[in-house]
Amino acid sequence: MPLPVTGGDGDTIWTMRMPKNKLVRPVTEESLDAARLELGVDFQDAECLLISEVKVLLEAQYDSKKEEKNLDEVYTKTLEYVQKFSRYTNRDTIKEVRALLKPTELEPFECAQLGNLCCSEYEEAKSLVPSIGSRISDEDLDSLLKQMDSLKKYQG
Amino acid sequence: MFFHKKLSHTITLHPSFLGPRMREYVTKRLYKDVEGTCTGRYGYIVAVVAILDIQTGKIIPGQGSAEFEVKYSAILFKPFRNEVIDAVVETVNPMGFFANAGPLRIFVSLTLVPADMKLDLDSNPPSLRSDDQKIEKGTLVRVKLSGTRVDATSIYGIGTIKEDYLGVIE
Repeated sequence: MPLPVTGGDGDTIWTMRMPKNKLVRPVTEESLDAARLELGVDFQDAECLLISEVKVLLEAQYDSKKEEKNLDEVYTKTLEYVQKFSRYTNRDTIKEVRALLKPTELEPFECAQLGNLCCSEYEEAKSLVPSIGSRISDEDLDSLLKQMDSLKKYQG
Repeated sequence: MFFHKKLSHTITLHPSFLGPRMREYVTKRLYKDVEGTCTGRYGYIVAVVAILDIQTGKIIPGQGSAEFEVKYSAILFKPFRNEVIDAVVETVNPMGFFANAGPLRIFVSLTLVPADMKLDLDSNPPSLRSDDQKIEKGTLVRVKLSGTRVDATSIYGIGTIKEDYLGVIE
């Protein structure tokens, strides 16, 4: 609807008032970014699993799946992958790693990444999981990584 | 990244299944419909962990089939941009190399490989070599995903190993 706007020298200039754009831009794949911990509405608060935890869960299902001849490609490829890259061999070690990570200020995604990547120093961890930023001090992170490393070294 | 998430799915059962073993059919159908699928929103649904609730079925007027809304929890695998992930090299070709991280296929272009690694197509299998590292089929590599693409049935990743702490894993 045209509105009158008075110009500086007294002339009236007609202008249009544009309606406010009420359309909210939908979240696209491009806006999701692990470095800034933007995982989208579905995964922002979701529980992240360690590769070792996935291995425990998938192996538990293996026998029944094999019996029913229900082994699909995604399952077998994922099982092979988690068996190859699992860092912790038994459930107790996994529980202890989770207990180490729980009291920190780290987000679930960051905890799972640290458990999966097993960095040896805090610089490596901060480089590979940049969203950590200054949420945890360098000394605390270093001590956490060393404790996780000794759990891995001395697990049964 | 692997996630454990609660999801919901609607199963439609033909009237011939509405009998004594109905719940069993519903669970079997759920496993068949949902496991191994891939969507842009949830990534790969690797496995159903537990069935949380099967709501009372609703008969569809005019058809006789019944609709059940099933709530279940599942292991999802969804890759994100800028996520660092470990993978196994599958092939090396003149454009770069392909690596697999479970069901996800990642392509790393030669331009995103450190300059000191040179392509060696004459070796068997073809490989990328530098003074102290070699990338060939079966090598374990740490890759950072710079982007993902989703098509009807799978997700593809584009990766780089040109940054610190990435590349061959000992």
